[in-house]
Amino acid sequence: MKRTVVPMGPQHPVLPEPLVLDLVLEDEKVVDAIPTIGYVHRGLEALVERVEYTEFGYVVERICGICSFMHGMGYAVAMEKIMAVEVPERASWLRLIWAEMSRIHSHLLWLGLGADAFGFENLFMHCWRTREAVLDIFEKTTGGRIIFSVNKIGGVRRDMADTELAAIVDTLQQLGAGFAETARIFETDPSIRHRLAGVGVLSREDAHAVDAVGPMARASGIRLDTRLTGTHLYDRLEFEPVLETAGDCLARVVVRVREIGQSIDLIRQAVERMPKAEGAPIEVKVRGLPTGETFERLEQPRGEVIYYIKANGTKYLERFRARTPTFANIPAMIRLVKGCDLADVPNIIMTIDPCISCTER
Amino acid sequence: MDGATFLARVAEYRADGWRLAIINTTSILPAEGMEHGAFDISWSFARDGALEHLREQVLPGEEVPSISASFGAAFLYENEMRELFGVNVTGMALDLKGQLYKTATIVPFAPSAIRARLDAMAKKA
Repeated sequence: MKRTVVPMGPQHPVLPEPLVLDLVLEDEKVVDAIPTIGYVHRGLEALVERVEYTEFGYVVERICGICSFMHGMGYAVAMEKIMAVEVPERASWLRLIWAEMSRIHSHLLWLGLGADAFGFENLFMHCWRTREAVLDIFEKTTGGRIIFSVNKIGGVRRDMADTELAAIVDTLQQLGAGFAETARIFETDPSIRHRLAGVGVLSREDAHAVDAVGPMARASGIRLDTRLTGTHLYDRLEFEPVLETAGDCLARVVVRVREIGQSIDLIRQAVERMPKAEGAPIEVKVRGLPTGETFERLEQPRGEVIYYIKANGTKYLERFRARTPTFANIPAMIRLVKGCDLADVPNIIMTIDPCISCTER
Repeated sequence: MDGATFLARVAEYRADGWRLAIINTTSILPAEGMEHGAFDISWSFARDGALEHLREQVLPGEEVPSISASFGAAFLYENEMRELFGVNVTGMALDLKGQLYKTATIVPFAPSAIRARLDAMAKKA
Protein backbone atom coordinates (compact mmCIF):
# COMPACT_ATOMS: atom_id res chain seq x y z
CA MET A 1 0.00 0.00 0.00
CA LYS A 2 1.16 3.51 -0.74
CA ARG A 3 2.69 5.27 2.26
CA THR A 4 2.27 8.94 3.08
CA VAL A 5 4.28 10.95 5.57
CA VAL A 6 2.30 13.52 7.54
CA PRO A 7 4.43 15.80 9.70
CA MET A 8 2.63 16.57 12.97
CA GLY A 9 4.01 19.64 14.75
CA PRO A 10 6.02 21.48 15.86
CA GLN A 11 2.89 23.63 16.15
CA HIS A 12 -0.36 21.77 16.63
CA PRO A 13 -3.59 22.72 18.45
CA VAL A 14 -3.15 20.00 21.11
CA LEU A 15 0.56 20.54 21.69
CA PRO A 16 1.36 23.10 24.40
CA GLU A 17 5.02 22.79 23.44
CA PRO A 18 6.80 22.05 20.17
CA LEU A 19 7.34 18.46 19.12
CA VAL A 20 7.45 16.89 15.69
CA LEU A 21 6.28 13.44 14.83
CA ASP A 22 6.69 12.38 11.24
CA LEU A 23 3.76 10.01 10.92
CA VAL A 24 4.10 7.37 8.24
CA LEU A 25 0.60 6.39 7.13
CA GLU A 26 -0.95 3.59 5.17
CA ASP A 27 -4.39 4.96 4.43
CA GLU A 28 -5.54 6.24 7.88
CA LYS A 29 -3.33 3.87 9.92
CA VAL A 30 -0.05 5.04 11.41
CA VAL A 31 2.67 2.48 10.67
CA ASP A 32 5.65 4.44 11.95
CA ALA A 33 6.45 7.64 13.82
CA ILE A 34 9.80 9.44 13.86
CA PRO A 35 10.22 12.00 16.66
CA THR A 36 12.15 15.24 16.46
CA ILE A 37 12.57 17.41 19.51
CA GLY A 38 15.04 20.20 20.17
CA TYR A 39 12.89 23.23 19.45
CA VAL A 40 13.18 24.39 23.05
CA HIS A 41 16.60 22.95 23.85
CA ARG A 42 18.22 25.61 26.02
CA GLY A 43 21.41 23.84 27.03
CA LEU A 44 20.58 24.33 30.73
CA GLU A 45 22.82 21.43 31.75
CA ALA A 46 25.79 23.19 30.18
CA LEU A 47 25.27 26.18 32.48
CA VAL A 48 27.11 24.31 35.25
CA GLU A 49 30.22 25.58 33.50
CA ARG A 50 29.46 29.17 34.50
CA VAL A 51 26.89 29.15 37.32
CA GLU A 52 28.14 28.34 40.82
CA TYR A 53 26.62 25.33 42.56
CA THR A 54 25.00 27.56 45.19
CA GLU A 55 23.10 29.41 42.45
CA PHE A 56 22.46 26.49 40.12
CA GLY A 57 19.23 25.56 41.89
CA TYR A 58 17.65 28.64 40.31
CA VAL A 59 18.56 27.26 36.88
CA VAL A 60 17.30 23.78 37.68
CA GLU A 61 13.86 24.94 38.77
CA ARG A 62 13.54 26.75 35.46
CA ILE A 63 13.81 23.50 33.51
CA CYS A 64 10.02 23.50 33.56
CA GLY A 65 7.26 25.73 34.87
CA ILE A 66 5.07 22.84 36.01
CA CYS A 67 7.61 20.71 37.83
CA SER A 68 9.74 23.62 39.03
CA PHE A 69 9.37 22.88 42.74
CA MET A 70 10.35 19.25 42.35
CA HIS A 71 13.29 20.07 40.11
CA GLY A 72 14.53 22.47 42.77
CA MET A 73 13.93 19.86 45.45
CA GLY A 74 15.73 17.13 43.50
CA TYR A 75 18.76 19.33 43.02
CA ALA A 76 18.86 20.34 46.69
CA VAL A 77 18.45 16.77 47.93
CA ALA A 78 21.17 15.48 45.59
CA MET A 79 23.59 18.19 46.66
CA GLU A 80 22.80 17.52 50.32
CA LYS A 81 23.66 13.88 49.72
CA ILE A 82 26.99 14.78 48.10
CA MET A 83 27.84 17.25 50.87
CA ALA A 84 26.58 14.93 53.66
CA VAL A 85 24.20 17.59 54.94
CA GLU A 86 21.42 16.52 57.29
CA VAL A 87 18.37 18.67 56.69
CA PRO A 88 16.05 19.60 59.60
CA GLU A 89 13.04 17.28 59.66
CA ARG A 90 10.56 20.13 59.34
CA ALA A 91 12.17 21.17 56.06
CA SER A 92 11.67 17.65 54.65
CA TRP A 93 7.99 17.68 55.67
CA LEU A 94 7.48 21.07 54.05
CA ARG A 95 9.14 19.80 50.88
CA LEU A 96 6.83 16.78 50.84
CA ILE A 97 3.76 19.01 51.20
CA TRP A 98 4.82 21.36 48.41
CA ALA A 99 5.75 18.36 46.24
CA GLU A 100 2.29 16.83 46.58
CA MET A 101 0.68 20.21 45.90
CA SER A 102 2.78 20.33 42.73
CA ARG A 103 1.33 16.98 41.74
CA ILE A 104 -2.22 18.27 42.26
CA HIS A 105 -1.66 21.40 40.20
CA SER A 106 0.19 19.51 37.45
CA HIS A 107 -2.54 16.87 37.13
CA LEU A 108 -5.28 19.52 37.10
CA LEU A 109 -3.42 21.47 34.45
CA TRP A 110 -2.98 18.34 32.35
CA LEU A 111 -6.57 17.17 32.80
CA GLY A 112 -7.68 20.57 31.51
CA LEU A 113 -5.39 20.34 28.50
CA GLY A 114 -6.51 16.76 27.90
CA ALA A 115 -10.17 17.77 28.02
CA ASP A 116 -9.47 20.58 25.58
CA ALA A 117 -7.69 18.12 23.27
CA PHE A 118 -10.65 15.74 23.14
CA GLY A 119 -13.05 18.62 22.67
CA PHE A 120 -14.60 19.08 26.11
CA GLU A 121 -13.82 22.74 26.66
CA ASN A 122 -16.13 23.17 29.62
CA LEU A 123 -14.22 20.50 31.52
CA PHE A 124 -10.98 22.29 30.68
CA MET A 125 -12.34 25.41 32.38
CA HIS A 126 -13.46 23.50 35.49
CA CYS A 127 -10.03 21.89 35.89
CA TRP A 128 -8.13 25.14 35.53
CA ARG A 129 -10.52 26.97 37.85
CA THR A 130 -9.95 24.26 40.46
CA ARG A 131 -6.18 24.54 39.95
CA GLU A 132 -6.26 28.24 40.82
CA ALA A 133 -6.86 27.37 44.49
CA VAL A 134 -3.60 25.40 44.55
CA LEU A 135 -1.69 28.24 42.90
CA ASP A 136 -3.14 30.60 45.50
CA ILE A 137 -1.72 28.38 48.26
CA PHE A 138 1.65 28.39 46.53
CA GLU A 139 1.55 32.15 46.28
CA LYS A 140 0.66 32.51 49.93
CA THR A 141 3.28 30.07 51.19
CA THR A 142 6.19 30.69 48.81
CA GLY A 143 5.53 34.07 47.22
CA GLY A 144 5.38 32.58 43.73
CA ARG A 145 2.77 30.84 41.61
CA ILE A 146 5.09 29.08 39.17
CA ILE A 147 8.70 29.48 40.24
CA PHE A 148 9.00 29.26 44.01
CA SER A 149 12.71 29.22 44.90
CA VAL A 150 11.97 27.92 48.37
CA ASN A 151 14.42 25.03 48.14
CA LYS A 152 18.02 25.58 49.02
CA ILE A 153 20.88 23.25 49.77
CA GLY A 154 20.42 22.59 53.47
CA GLY A 155 16.66 23.03 53.73
CA VAL A 156 13.95 25.46 52.69
CA ARG A 157 13.67 29.23 52.82
CA ARG A 158 10.14 29.58 54.19
CA ASP A 159 8.17 27.94 56.95
CA MET A 160 4.41 27.55 57.23
CA ALA A 161 2.60 28.29 60.46
CA ASP A 162 0.80 25.34 61.99
CA THR A 163 -2.51 27.18 61.65
CA GLU A 164 -1.69 27.86 58.00
CA LEU A 165 -1.00 24.16 57.44
CA ALA A 166 -4.38 23.28 58.94
CA ALA A 167 -6.05 25.85 56.69
CA ILE A 168 -4.28 24.38 53.65
CA VAL A 169 -5.61 20.92 54.46
CA ASP A 170 -9.12 22.39 54.78
CA THR A 171 -8.82 24.23 51.47
CA LEU A 172 -7.52 21.13 49.69
CA GLN A 173 -10.23 18.91 51.13
CA GLN A 174 -12.85 21.38 49.91
CA LEU A 175 -11.10 21.38 46.54
CA GLY A 176 -11.24 17.59 46.51
CA ALA A 177 -14.94 17.59 47.35
CA GLY A 178 -15.66 20.17 44.67
CA PHE A 179 -13.60 18.24 42.15
CA ALA A 180 -15.57 15.03 42.75
CA GLU A 181 -18.18 15.93 40.14
CA THR A 182 -15.52 16.78 37.56
CA ALA A 183 -13.77 13.50 38.39
CA ARG A 184 -17.04 11.61 37.90
CA ILE A 185 -17.45 13.17 34.47
CA PHE A 186 -13.92 12.21 33.46
CA GLU A 187 -14.50 8.62 34.50
CA THR A 188 -18.04 8.03 33.29
CA ASP A 189 -19.11 10.52 30.62
CA PRO A 190 -20.12 8.56 27.49
CA SER A 191 -18.56 11.06 25.06
CA ILE A 192 -15.21 10.85 26.88
CA ARG A 193 -15.36 7.07 27.03
CA HIS A 194 -16.19 6.97 23.35
CA ARG A 195 -13.10 9.05 22.60
CA LEU A 196 -10.62 7.44 25.01
CA ALA A 197 -11.67 3.94 26.06
CA GLY A 198 -9.78 1.27 24.17
CA VAL A 199 -7.64 3.88 22.39
CA GLY A 200 -3.85 3.82 22.60
CA VAL A 201 -3.62 0.64 24.66
CA LEU A 202 -0.24 0.03 26.28
CA SER A 203 -0.28 -3.47 27.67
CA ARG A 204 1.56 -4.30 30.89
CA GLU A 205 4.18 -6.20 28.88
CA ASP A 206 4.67 -3.32 26.44
CA ALA A 207 4.92 -0.79 29.28
CA HIS A 208 7.66 -2.92 30.80
CA ALA A 209 9.38 -3.39 27.43
CA VAL A 210 9.63 0.36 26.80
CA ASP A 211 10.46 1.18 30.44
CA ALA A 212 7.49 3.50 30.91
CA VAL A 213 7.31 5.48 34.15
CA GLY A 214 4.75 7.37 36.22
CA PRO A 215 1.00 7.38 35.53
CA MET A 216 1.81 5.93 32.10
CA ALA A 217 3.15 2.73 33.72
CA ARG A 218 0.60 2.70 36.54
CA ALA A 219 -2.29 2.91 34.04
CA SER A 220 -0.94 -0.32 32.53
CA GLY A 221 -0.96 -2.08 35.89
CA ILE A 222 2.72 -1.67 36.80
CA ARG A 223 3.25 -0.88 40.48
CA LEU A 224 6.03 1.60 39.86
CA ASP A 225 6.35 4.73 41.95
CA THR A 226 9.53 6.18 43.42
CA ARG A 227 7.56 7.11 46.54
CA LEU A 228 7.40 3.39 47.31
CA THR A 229 11.12 3.46 48.10
CA GLY A 230 10.18 5.34 51.25
CA THR A 231 12.64 8.17 50.77
CA HIS A 232 11.81 11.82 51.52
CA LEU A 233 9.57 10.76 54.46
CA TYR A 234 7.09 8.78 52.36
CA ASP A 235 7.87 5.81 54.60
CA ARG A 236 6.04 7.68 57.38
CA LEU A 237 2.83 7.88 55.36
CA GLU A 238 0.29 5.33 54.28
CA PHE A 239 0.72 5.15 50.57
CA GLU A 240 -0.23 2.73 47.84
CA PRO A 241 0.05 3.81 44.18
CA VAL A 242 -3.09 4.25 42.11
CA LEU A 243 -3.22 1.48 39.53
CA GLU A 244 -5.39 0.81 36.51
CA THR A 245 -5.05 -2.15 34.20
CA ALA A 246 -6.70 -1.20 30.90
CA GLY A 247 -3.60 0.68 29.69
CA ASP A 248 -5.67 2.90 27.39
CA CYS A 249 -6.04 6.68 27.19
CA LEU A 250 -8.95 6.58 29.63
CA ALA A 251 -6.93 4.61 32.19
CA ARG A 252 -4.19 7.24 32.07
CA VAL A 253 -6.81 9.93 32.72
CA VAL A 254 -8.36 7.98 35.58
CA VAL A 255 -5.01 7.38 37.29
CA ARG A 256 -4.30 11.12 37.32
CA VAL A 257 -7.82 11.98 38.49
CA ARG A 258 -7.45 9.61 41.45
CA GLU A 259 -3.93 10.75 42.23
CA ILE A 260 -5.31 14.21 42.95
CA GLY A 261 -7.38 12.81 45.81
CA GLN A 262 -4.44 10.72 46.94
CA SER A 263 -2.12 13.74 47.08
CA ILE A 264 -4.68 15.65 49.15
CA ASP A 265 -4.75 12.74 51.56
CA LEU A 266 -0.92 12.53 51.68
CA ILE A 267 -0.80 16.23 52.58
CA ARG A 268 -3.39 15.66 55.32
CA GLN A 269 -1.32 12.78 56.71
CA ALA A 270 1.86 14.85 56.52
CA VAL A 271 0.32 17.74 58.42
CA GLU A 272 -1.01 15.35 61.06
CA ARG A 273 2.25 13.50 61.50
CA MET A 274 4.84 16.24 61.25
CA PRO A 275 5.99 17.48 64.65
CA LYS A 276 4.18 20.64 65.68
CA ALA A 277 7.31 22.68 65.77
CA GLU A 278 6.55 26.03 64.26
CA GLY A 279 9.68 28.13 64.60
CA ALA A 280 11.93 25.04 64.57
CA PRO A 281 14.93 25.20 62.21
CA ILE A 282 14.12 24.77 58.54
CA GLU A 283 17.66 24.97 57.19
CA VAL A 284 21.25 24.35 58.12
CA LYS A 285 24.17 26.43 56.91
CA VAL A 286 26.14 24.67 54.22
CA ARG A 287 29.80 25.50 53.82
CA GLY A 288 32.62 24.21 51.65
CA LEU A 289 32.92 22.93 48.14
CA PRO A 290 31.22 19.71 47.04
CA THR A 291 33.16 16.65 45.93
CA GLY A 292 31.64 13.42 44.69
CA GLU A 293 28.74 12.22 42.62
CA THR A 294 25.26 10.92 43.14
CA PHE A 295 22.07 9.79 41.47
CA GLU A 296 18.82 11.02 43.01
CA ARG A 297 15.29 9.87 42.17
CA LEU A 298 11.96 11.57 42.81
CA GLU A 299 8.40 10.87 41.72
CA GLN A 300 7.36 13.93 39.77
CA PRO A 301 3.74 14.28 38.58
CA ARG A 302 4.69 12.73 35.24
CA GLY A 303 6.77 9.97 36.78
CA GLU A 304 10.26 9.19 37.93
CA VAL A 305 12.90 11.85 37.43
CA ILE A 306 16.58 11.04 37.90
CA TYR A 307 19.27 13.59 38.60
CA TYR A 308 22.95 12.86 38.21
CA ILE A 309 25.38 15.35 39.73
CA LYS A 310 29.15 15.20 39.74
CA ALA A 311 31.13 17.73 41.75
CA ASN A 312 34.89 18.13 41.64
CA GLY A 313 35.73 20.25 44.65
CA THR A 314 35.33 23.58 42.88
CA LYS A 315 32.42 26.01 43.01
CA TYR A 316 31.32 24.80 39.56
CA LEU A 317 29.80 21.35 39.11
CA GLU A 318 31.37 19.03 36.58
CA ARG A 319 28.09 17.57 35.42
CA PHE A 320 24.40 18.00 36.05
CA ARG A 321 21.96 15.74 34.28
CA ALA A 322 18.18 15.44 34.59
CA ARG A 323 16.45 12.46 33.03
CA THR A 324 12.87 13.57 33.08
CA PRO A 325 9.77 11.35 32.97
CA THR A 326 8.68 12.58 29.55
CA PHE A 327 12.08 11.61 28.14
CA ALA A 328 11.52 8.11 29.54
CA ASN A 329 7.98 7.95 28.13
CA ILE A 330 8.72 9.00 24.54
CA PRO A 331 9.48 5.39 23.46
CA ALA A 332 6.10 4.40 24.95
CA MET A 333 4.41 7.19 23.02
CA ILE A 334 5.98 5.99 19.76
CA ARG A 335 4.93 2.42 20.52
CA LEU A 336 1.33 3.59 21.08
CA VAL A 337 1.12 5.71 17.96
CA LYS A 338 2.16 2.84 15.71
CA GLY A 339 -0.95 1.03 14.58
CA CYS A 340 -3.45 3.65 15.68
CA ASP A 341 -5.75 5.78 13.54
CA LEU A 342 -4.45 9.20 12.53
CA ALA A 343 -7.39 10.85 14.34
CA ASP A 344 -6.34 9.27 17.66
CA VAL A 345 -2.74 10.49 17.55
CA PRO A 346 -3.39 13.82 19.34
CA ASN A 347 -5.16 12.13 22.27
CA ILE A 348 -2.48 9.49 22.57
CA ILE A 349 0.26 12.10 22.66
CA MET A 350 -1.65 14.13 25.22
CA THR A 351 -2.17 11.18 27.56
CA ILE A 352 1.54 10.72 28.15
CA ASP A 353 1.35 14.29 29.56
CA PRO A 354 4.36 15.40 27.54
CA CYS A 355 6.58 18.10 28.96
CA ILE A 356 8.96 19.05 26.20
CA SER A 357 10.78 21.72 28.20
CA CYS A 358 11.68 19.07 30.77
CA THR A 359 12.71 16.63 28.08
CA GLU A 360 15.02 18.99 26.26
CA ARG A 361 16.38 20.98 29.19
CA MET B 1 34.82 -4.87 29.32
CA ASP B 2 34.63 -5.93 25.67
CA GLY B 3 31.48 -5.31 23.64
CA ALA B 4 30.14 -8.88 23.79
CA THR B 5 30.62 -9.17 27.56
CA PHE B 6 29.00 -5.79 28.08
CA LEU B 7 25.95 -6.69 25.98
CA ALA B 8 25.63 -10.01 27.79
CA ARG B 9 25.61 -8.19 31.16
CA VAL B 10 22.95 -5.82 29.83
CA ALA B 11 20.85 -8.76 28.60
CA GLU B 12 21.09 -10.29 32.09
CA TYR B 13 19.64 -7.14 33.59
CA ARG B 14 16.67 -7.34 31.22
CA ALA B 15 16.17 -11.04 31.89
CA ASP B 16 16.22 -10.40 35.65
CA GLY B 17 13.42 -7.82 35.42
CA TRP B 18 15.41 -4.60 35.64
CA ARG B 19 14.39 -1.56 33.64
CA LEU B 20 16.62 0.99 31.99
CA ALA B 21 16.59 4.05 34.24
CA ILE B 22 19.10 6.36 32.58
CA ILE B 23 22.16 6.37 30.36
CA ASN B 24 24.40 9.23 31.34
CA THR B 25 27.48 10.63 29.65
CA THR B 26 29.99 12.92 31.31
CA SER B 27 32.77 14.47 29.26
CA ILE B 28 36.26 14.23 30.66
CA LEU B 29 38.26 17.23 29.55
CA PRO B 30 41.45 16.88 27.49
CA ALA B 31 44.51 16.52 29.70
CA GLU B 32 48.05 15.30 29.48
CA GLY B 33 48.05 11.73 28.17
CA MET B 34 44.46 12.12 26.93
CA GLU B 35 44.66 14.95 24.45
CA HIS B 36 41.12 14.59 23.08
CA GLY B 37 39.50 13.89 26.42
CA ALA B 38 37.15 10.97 27.02
CA PHE B 39 33.62 10.05 27.97
CA ASP B 40 32.51 8.53 31.24
CA ILE B 41 29.35 6.62 30.37
CA SER B 42 27.04 4.94 32.85
CA TRP B 43 24.10 2.70 32.10
CA SER B 44 21.77 2.60 35.11
CA PHE B 45 19.15 -0.06 35.76
CA ALA B 46 16.37 0.10 38.33
CA ARG B 47 14.33 -2.60 40.04
CA ASP B 48 12.10 -1.68 42.94
CA GLY B 49 14.22 0.60 45.13
CA ALA B 50 17.57 -0.54 43.73
CA LEU B 51 19.65 1.30 41.15
CA GLU B 52 22.70 -0.41 39.63
CA HIS B 53 25.18 0.94 37.13
CA LEU B 54 27.54 -0.32 34.45
CA ARG B 55 30.31 2.17 33.74
CA GLU B 56 32.86 2.51 31.00
CA GLN B 57 35.33 5.18 30.02
CA VAL B 58 35.63 5.49 26.25
CA LEU B 59 37.73 7.67 23.99
CA PRO B 60 36.24 9.87 21.26
CA GLY B 61 35.71 7.79 18.13
CA GLU B 62 35.71 4.50 20.02
CA GLU B 63 32.67 2.36 19.22
CA VAL B 64 30.00 1.93 21.90
CA PRO B 65 27.49 -0.82 21.14
CA SER B 66 23.82 0.03 21.39
CA ILE B 67 21.86 -1.82 24.06
CA SER B 68 18.59 -1.39 22.20
CA ALA B 69 18.39 -5.13 21.48
CA SER B 70 17.74 -5.64 25.21
CA PHE B 71 16.21 -2.28 26.10
CA GLY B 72 14.16 -0.84 23.25
CA ALA B 73 13.90 2.55 24.95
CA ALA B 74 17.68 3.01 24.82
CA PHE B 75 17.54 4.55 21.36
CA LEU B 76 16.60 7.96 22.73
CA TYR B 77 19.50 8.10 25.19
CA GLU B 78 21.86 6.79 22.51
CA ASN B 79 20.82 9.34 19.91
CA GLU B 80 21.28 12.02 22.52
CA MET B 81 24.76 10.73 23.39
CA ARG B 82 25.74 10.93 19.78
CA GLU B 83 24.21 14.32 19.03
CA LEU B 84 25.18 16.20 22.17
CA PHE B 85 28.47 14.48 23.06
CA GLY B 86 29.69 12.88 19.83
CA VAL B 87 29.82 9.36 21.28
CA ASN B 88 30.12 6.82 18.47
CA VAL B 89 27.15 4.57 19.27
CA THR B 90 26.68 1.70 16.82
CA GLY B 91 23.68 -0.48 16.02
CA MET B 92 20.89 1.71 17.38
CA ALA B 93 17.37 0.32 16.88
CA LEU B 94 16.16 3.73 15.71
CA ASP B 95 18.85 5.97 14.28
CA LEU B 96 17.51 9.52 14.11
CA LYS B 97 20.57 10.59 12.09
CA GLY B 98 21.22 13.79 13.97
CA GLN B 99 17.58 14.91 13.87
CA LEU B 100 16.73 14.53 17.57
CA TYR B 101 17.99 17.91 18.74
CA LYS B 102 18.38 21.16 16.90
CA THR B 103 21.46 22.75 18.41
CA ALA B 104 23.38 25.77 17.18
CA THR B 105 26.69 24.09 18.06
CA ILE B 106 27.56 20.65 16.73
CA VAL B 107 28.14 18.21 19.62
CA PRO B 108 28.03 20.97 22.26
CA PHE B 109 29.01 18.71 25.18
CA ALA B 110 32.06 17.10 23.50
CA PRO B 111 35.24 17.44 25.62
CA SER B 112 36.84 19.73 23.03
CA ALA B 113 33.73 21.96 22.88
CA ILE B 114 33.61 22.33 26.67
CA ARG B 115 37.36 23.04 26.78
CA ALA B 116 36.96 25.74 24.13
CA ARG B 117 34.11 27.38 26.08
CA LEU B 118 36.03 27.32 29.35
CA ASP B 119 39.15 28.75 27.67
CA ALA B 120 37.08 31.53 26.09
CA MET B 121 35.51 32.38 29.47
CA ALA B 122 38.92 32.41 31.16
CA LYS B 123 40.27 34.74 28.47
CA LYS B 124 37.29 37.09 28.91
CA ALA B 125 37.78 37.13 32.67
